[in-house]
Amino acid sequence: MHPLTFILILLPFVAAACCFWTVSERLRSYIVLTTGGTLMASALLLTFRAPFAFSPEPVWGLDVHDAVKIPDFLLTALILYYGFRRRSFAVIVPTAVQIVLMLWFEGFMIEAPSVQAFYCDNLSLIMVLIISIVGSLICFQAFAYMKIHETHRHLPESRQPRFFGVMMFFLGAMNGLVLSNDMSVIHFFFEATTLCSFLLIGHDGDETAVRNSVRALWMNSLGGLAFTVAMMIIYRNLGTIGLQQILRTSPGAGLSFLAMALLCLAAFVKSAQFPMQSWLTGAMVAPTPVSALLHSSTMVKVGVYLALRLAPVMHGSFLSHCIAIYGAFSFLAGAGLAVGQSNGKKVLAYSTISNLGLIFACIGIDTPESITAAVLLLLFHAVVKALLFLCVGTIEQHIDSRDIEDMRGLYAKMPLTALIAVMGVVMMIMPPFGLLLGKWMAMEAASANIFVIFPTAVGSALTAMYWARWAGTLMSDPFAGKFKPESQPPMTWGVLVSLCAGAGLLSVLSPWVYAKLFTTSMILHYTPPYVLHDGMLENAWGVFAVLPLCAVAVLGFLQSIGAVLWAATGARVVTPYLSGIQTEEPRVFTGPMNRRVQAQAGNYYLSNLFGERTLTVWINLAAGVLLILIVGGTL
Amino acid sequence: MFEKILTRARMRSPWMLHFDCGSCNGCDIEVLACLTPVYDVERFGVVNTGNPMHADILLVTGTVNHRNRNVLRNLYDQMPGPKVVVAIGACGLTGGIFRQAWNVVGGVDRVIPVDVYVPGCPAKPEAIIDGVVMGLEKFMEKQHVDIS
Amino acid sequence: MIRHGILIAAALIFGPLVGGLISGMDRILTARVQSRIGPPLLQPFYDVIKLLGKEKVVVNVWQAFCANAYLTAASIAVVLLCLRSDLLLILFIQAVGSVFLVVGAFSSTSPYSQIGAHRELLQMLCYEPLLILVAVGVYLQTGSFRIAAVHALHQPMLLKLPFLFLVLGLVLTIKLRKSPFDLSTSHHAHQELVKGLLTDYSGPLLALTEIAHWCDTALLLGFCSLFWATNPIGALLLVAVTYLMEIWIDNVCARMNWRWMLGYGWGMGMALSLVNLVWLYAR
Repeated sequence: MHPLTFILILLPFVAAACCFWTVSERLRSYIVLTTGGTLMASALLLTFRAPFAFSPEPVWGLDVHDAVKIPDFLLTALILYYGFRRRSFAVIVPTAVQIVLMLWFEGFMIEAPSVQAFYCDNLSLIMVLIISIVGSLICFQAFAYMKIHETHRHLPESRQPRFFGVMMFFLGAMNGLVLSNDMSVIHFFFEATTLCSFLLIGHDGDETAVRNSVRALWMNSLGGLAFTVAMMIIYRNLGTIGLQQILRTSPGAGLSFLAMALLCLAAFVKSAQFPMQSWLTGAMVAPTPVSALLHSSTMVKVGVYLALRLAPVMHGSFLSHCIAIYGAFSFLAGAGLAVGQSNGKKVLAYSTISNLGLIFACIGIDTPESITAAVLLLLFHAVVKALLFLCVGTIEQHIDSRDIEDMRGLYAKMPLTALIAVMGVVMMIMPPFGLLLGKWMAMEAASANIFVIFPTAVGSALTAMYWARWAGTLMSDPFAGKFKPESQPPMTWGVLVSLCAGAGLLSVLSPWVYAKLFTTSMILHYTPPYVLHDGMLENAWGVFAVLPLCAVAVLGFLQSIGAVLWAATGARVVTPYLSGIQTEEPRVFTGPMNRRVQAQAGNYYLSNLFGERTLTVWINLAAGVLLILIVGGTL
Repeated sequence: MFEKILTRARMRSPWMLHFDCGSCNGCDIEVLACLTPVYDVERFGVVNTGNPMHADILLVTGTVNHRNRNVLRNLYDQMPGPKVVVAIGACGLTGGIFRQAWNVVGGVDRVIPVDVYVPGCPAKPEAIIDGVVMGLEKFMEKQHVDIS
Repeated sequence: MIRHGILIAAALIFGPLVGGLISGMDRILTARVQSRIGPPLLQPFYDVIKLLGKEKVVVNVWQAFCANAYLTAASIAVVLLCLRSDLLLILFIQAVGSVFLVVGAFSSTSPYSQIGAHRELLQMLCYEPLLILVAVGVYLQTGSFRIAAVHALHQPMLLKLPFLFLVLGLVLTIKLRKSPFDLSTSHHAHQELVKGLLTDYSGPLLALTEIAHWCDTALLLGFCSLFWATNPIGALLLVAVTYLMEIWIDNVCARMNWRWMLGYGWGMGMALSLVNLVWLYAR
């Protein structure tokens, strides 16, 4: 298991350095492909090894804790440097305070920690799988993407070495974060993801990119500060900074809930929960693989991961209740804002915030059912959201727009991508796919709490609305011809198809995924809440017939495809109804003086109700109050 | 056997589309009068759909002119077969008193095939209902005809 | 296993059948209210058989997919109701059908279709949270989301969930597209909408959506019947009274706009659910 852990964490770092110094595009692609392939294989092999915990033998008298100490300072100093360079006090102040606190902590407070450096249970395993498999796939797709991206921008010199270097570095940092047990090591990786995020958001270097990257940096360094303070309080109270040691303390044994609240705060920042959502929505200026990798399927999951880790010690506390309400609120608010958006990437961003809110709500409810829901949502959201992001990226490069209105009737131009995107939407909102399984569990678990179920019910309807609207818009074109997929680079469609197929397959297998992850070795020490029989998941008050539904869905799908073929061959094609004055061209009718007039129909975005301008202030206010409640309630 | 059920269903469920080609509204009022409680054509399953995609019977009133002949043609094309066209009123039949006008094409049958002619100026509701019923009988003949 | 097979077959056959008969009755009663005689009871079946036998005309082949998927989802929901499965799951599957119907309408470029689709989405937005809240009420009352638990009660649920039953009535009005909520498609909106959502579904595809709508009707009325599950006659009476009320409301109301629907539906629905749910919690 040692070599696997090292491969997962260190190999990306090595690859990052290689990418950074490699000018040849071909060589770089080999490096990324090999690294990605190795990471995937290692992550899969890791499933046979978990759970485990170990500390590597000290090398030259240095254990992991010491080895990370210097880079940690360097990294934070680098953030400080960027703060000075961008003249942002919002970055400088928290980072400087953080450095002082860290110096104090490492220099005066901490004695030789005797905690295990690495720890891997099923939760870490899921994270590693997501990061290594989904992350690598996104990096593969980035080749095709960045090539076109740089051609579009007419750069004198390719910045791809830096780009892929940071992407690889990020994969290593994420793997390190989820496999570490020592909080100071986690802190290092936490800061590393912040820095990667900053570098990648600002990658294009134009004014908006720089502004948004600085915003991401200061918000996340606030999170880093909260993390540091929490770490210090925990060490003071418990004398340890090992996550497993913290989890083993019984409630009330001197564990400070303030520290927990601060850690949750750091988690909320990383997961871009309200009112810190603007760094994520701003991050959408970055090239799409960045949005997909950092800001939807992996980095934002760090926050959720942290909160999930800490869920057992918060069980039944006021803090936990508050998190449930806050998460549900975030779910509702994110969904509402997504309804008001016509910018495709922003819809995805808000939907990410919203889904993460639901996961936080599940963590706050903190029953075995809800934790199961949280983990399943985490897993499926990562896969499906990556898929959708990559679809939008591909679409954007073809039509030069990320606006949903411009994607009207995209099926006529790029049928393959449009269909895959619609598939992604279907997997987002429909049973029997995994995300809805998670949502079902979440709702059944939330039903016992009136403050959670109300926002969840409304948010879920809003979610269905903005996804269905998007899918419909993609298909909105009179079409009766043969299905001719557009030509795409193999790296692009290969990744899209494999993500789509993977998500579908995973959904079918979800009962067994559940059985493997939750019953063989218990996740977070919760008793497995659902019983698996005949491919159905059951507990005392509900049943989700996963396998029968999948079977029926497949039959229904085949039958409906049959209907499409029937329509494509045997049916007479007519133009859509346009009051009888239609022409042979779609959307064009004969107007006054026999002129040809374009018929236009835009989507309802209800921007008076759900627009950013209307809602953001109130949502931020309400979220701020809830956060004060969360932190203040622990004092 | 299925054919029989189908024909029966067709006879009992004529959904109509009413298109006013340029009528003086006399015939239109009478057409709509058929839907009122006095005549209540829904007794026979008649529904006023207002949508060619759903309609079985096209009721046309008024004179066809050069402007609306395309519209008439389009609406007729959008109707799925089997379909029946009922031309109503003197204008619909022949162009009526406007037939000599410079912009007029003439009766409905100059543009699309007409199955039933209902004369009158305006046509009486009873006559229109009779026309629709006659149109229904055409379904019997049309069932074996290739519907495309 | 055999029992399940029979139940599934019964649900597949009787679900749409009952829905169709109810729709026929609806048309007769509406005609009587307007002092007309109205069509025969079997009129909806004539309509659907006729539509099934019409020429195949499509504007976008994916509409065929959507119509089929709608029917599939709607019938699965009815089957699960008959198998007394999980209530929340049934509601989710029912929503799948509606989403496919909407996507099918979107796939035509006709503005009438598009507007109808949007309005249908707004209608879903209005009633879906309410349906979920009703299910939550059932959970709080019986301690389970399974319908089997409702049948195990000794007392009609209506006595404990009166307000939630009213909410369900509201949902029924929106879902069945009765006035004042017949926004997305209607028999009476030719000028404004043509046929809205259904404008470009035609022939056999329209027939499929009609059958699926019957399934939806059957599903929701089945849901209503759960509120008096202790006695079949009581259940029947409750459903009959509820549906008569629907017809009455349909005939005395004018069509309103979506803003009003969202405000009224959410305001009234949420308030009533809140009162009832708080009461259940406090108990």
